[in-house]
Amino acid sequence: MALSLLSSFFASPRAIFSAAILLRALFLVYGLFQDAFSPMKYTDIDYFVFTDAARFISRGQSPYARDTYRYTPLLAWMIYPTTWPGAWFSFGKVLFAIGDIVAGWMMFRILCSYQNMSQERALKFASIWLLNPMVATISTRGSSEGLLGVFVIALLWAVLSKRIELAGLLLGFAVHFKIYPFIYAASIVWWLDDTQLGRHNNANQAASRSLVEMTATFLNYQRVMLAFYSLLTFIGLNMAMYSSYEWPFLEHSYFYHLTRIDHRHNFSPYNTLLYLNSSPKPNHSPSIELERLAFVPQLLLSGVMIPVALSKKDLPSTMLAQTFAFVAFNKVCTSQYFLWYMMFLPFYLPDSTLLRSRRVGITSLVFWVLGQIFWLQQGFQLEFNGQSTFIPGLWASSILFFVVNVWILGIIILDVRAKTPSRPQVAASKKRS
Amino acid sequence: MKQRITYLVQNPDDFTPEQLDVSETTFTLNKVPAAKEHRITFGLSELPGELRTAFEQWHELHIRWTCQTPYTAVPPFTSRVSPGLHVFFTPRKDQPETTLCDHLHQAFGPLPKCSSPTTSFTKLPVLSERFSMSSYFQYYAHVPTLENLVTFIHEKLCNSSSKACKAAASSLLSVAYLDIDYDAISHAVVINAFWAPNTWTESVTLPGKQDTIEIGVLTHEPNPDPDDIGFGGFLTVLGQDTAPKPTRFQTPTRHYPLAHPLTYTTSLSSPTGLHPTLIISLSTLPIPPHATCKLHAHLTLPSALFIDKYQFVDPLFLAAHHLHALRSLSGATDLEAPDWVVEQWGSAALFEVALPNAPNQQAPPAAYNISIPLHLRYLPAAPSSHSAVPLPWPVLFFACRADEGAKMAGNPFDRLHLGYEALFGPKTRFMHVPPAQGVDGMVEWIDVPVLDLRGAAWVEWGTVGMVVGAFLGLCWVLFGGKKEVVVEKGGKKKQ
Repeated sequence: MALSLLSSFFASPRAIFSAAILLRALFLVYGLFQDAFSPMKYTDIDYFVFTDAARFISRGQSPYARDTYRYTPLLAWMIYPTTWPGAWFSFGKVLFAIGDIVAGWMMFRILCSYQNMSQERALKFASIWLLNPMVATISTRGSSEGLLGVFVIALLWAVLSKRIELAGLLLGFAVHFKIYPFIYAASIVWWLDDTQLGRHNNANQAASRSLVEMTATFLNYQRVMLAFYSLLTFIGLNMAMYSSYEWPFLEHSYFYHLTRIDHRHNFSPYNTLLYLNSSPKPNHSPSIELERLAFVPQLLLSGVMIPVALSKKDLPSTMLAQTFAFVAFNKVCTSQYFLWYMMFLPFYLPDSTLLRSRRVGITSLVFWVLGQIFWLQQGFQLEFNGQSTFIPGLWASSILFFVVNVWILGIIILDVRAKTPSRPQVAASKKRS
Repeated sequence: MKQRITYLVQNPDDFTPEQLDVSETTFTLNKVPAAKEHRITFGLSELPGELRTAFEQWHELHIRWTCQTPYTAVPPFTSRVSPGLHVFFTPRKDQPETTLCDHLHQAFGPLPKCSSPTTSFTKLPVLSERFSMSSYFQYYAHVPTLENLVTFIHEKLCNSSSKACKAAASSLLSVAYLDIDYDAISHAVVINAFWAPNTWTESVTLPGKQDTIEIGVLTHEPNPDPDDIGFGGFLTVLGQDTAPKPTRFQTPTRHYPLAHPLTYTTSLSSPTGLHPTLIISLSTLPIPPHATCKLHAHLTLPSALFIDKYQFVDPLFLAAHHLHALRSLSGATDLEAPDWVVEQWGSAALFEVALPNAPNQQAPPAAYNISIPLHLRYLPAAPSSHSAVPLPWPVLFFACRADEGAKMAGNPFDRLHLGYEALFGPKTRFMHVPPAQGVDGMVEWIDVPVLDLRGAAWVEWGTVGMVVGAFLGLCWVLFGGKKEVVVEKGGKKKQ
């Protein structure tokens, strides 16, 4: 009885999306009550930063007049209605929640159209995002990470459906919005080969081609268009923002992320080292400052090696592996960053070892959660009980979490490697016919 | 050099004129129980060359030092600042100032975060533009004693043969507070020392034949005007007078004591962690002495501590802490910077405290707690697990509307440049809540967890080793020769 109810629930897009909307509406209303009656706020601190910045804009000032506003002015503009009186304050949260739902709907469409799933199966996997309480909490508390999800999933959908101009536009926008999506440029460009575009070159010819010819073949129309539109959007947006908000825009949206020390404790394996090496020491012991090279393994993996090795086999899963590598090897890592790769899980999980082998899947999940619990416990002892847990507790737990992440990443990479290169399906077959 | 000494006897019954003795060059007190203020005014030309050159470069300098132990403040010496060293400074318009910190280090010992006023000092907030007497820059450091200053005066300022100079300097070791003021208009340096009530048996001797010293021994007198305080007693100009002359006068004053017995203590909620909460405990429910009076707390926070002003916007949050509003916050308020990046000494905050509802007449007076959530910056890694950070007690006062502002400056005991008057209008009367007596000291120490260098030797190589290992492992997974196995595995799965 319950099972059949459950299966009919997952068979109906209307039921799933209603549930997803209801979940967010409930969280939103609950948040309003908690905010109204408790000094402990449901609303994320960042949301107050965004809304303060929007208020500065509404007074004709720069959003960067608000301390710790490190985002594009577009974000403050998007939630401009929060400056209107009354319930409009929650406009941003509603917008982020709608972003969640739209992203979930696109996941559902991509699973149906490009991974040839039945509607019920696609809904089940899209529910990893749609009915995930963590995702719903993050957007209804007013964190902008969820909003990024809608742009990244739209980018994936545009690429898969070969709407290259739109894809370029979204890529340029996403990079302007949050920088890190630039890693997807590599996998998308690598993926957009002639096979995907439905043009079959003879393999024999390829062997005898010169470097110039190979370059000319590589630079196919779609790749050039993607580069053109993404750069145009990225540069255009930056110029527009610079013309309005000048130096503070560049400083807070971009340069801050390059110069920040990230000395405060976070999940990153580098965080103890960054604190140690940025802090002035009484007896100046020499340091090799290898942490300055932290971007090398991170960018090599997420921006070059993973795209080249995997993207032609399965683009969405490659994007998952890229993001996973980017977050795991990043110099700063908080739980909001996990959302960046969670949005790709519905595409990867269906054929994954994590689901096929219950033992591997459950072990991975348990270790992933345990790594965080261990770290959070050490962090709590430091932050609230004032114990100096930096060494060895926090360091060991962040390294342990890093190892767990790398291990899971290894499983993902092996899974994608095992796939046969993806064939253009719906879109390409239409072209051929 | 001009000198003025005032003894203020709290209880008139404890004093008779027979306890005073005046001769040509000496004034003697015998067991006079009183608070004492000693004011010395130097012309610039009377200072040694190096100091004179330094002062000449400055427009205004006001130094306020207060001891850590709670003392009894006797009207008109009622005003208070947080314990430690406060410096208020205005440079000359045409001259960037570079040497002030060197002089401060010399006089008060090595001070944290003092390299030059432009980098280390903070701009003093001025809410009331009409308060023309306020300085431009502010600096604070935790300085527990004046030992360094006394040594400095002995070695650098006193003539090596002058015992009187050395004795006078040594007497600074027991002051409750010390003020040093200079401004370019008067071209004079005024040193003002205050000693809490004590029993004085001492002699004041003229330093030279041409000199005079004005000595007052005063008691409080009731007077018809409630806005003024009245004094009676004896004035003697040593060097001119041969006997104490009776005197009586009254003056309006900026700082008043509270009539009802309210005191406060300060503590930190435990454990402090990285987000300590400062708790100000009042001995009874605070009752405003007048309808216009609002209770305020003025905090001086060294750079390791900071206030997140965005927290104090929510009315529920404010009410939960018995606060009404954060009225002013100035200085190093960056919410993210670690302490070693902050160049400024710290920050200053003024809170308006929420007053409790009118207390029930029958109910016994209950204690009242105010809490102020603070945050700690990361401190440099050290060869220990914790580093200690001093937090001076805030000063607590009612700010009330006064009918007259300008007349207050006519008070011969008026004390300005305390760091908070400029946040109020000129017609403000400050009614001070005294700290409770008998506490250890008006400085709380916070143990801040830091990265312990004693176990950190392997962190760098450990981290780099793990990252490189993980990177190489992933390279192997991506491009390694296990392809056949993988294909097999994949093939099996496909079946």
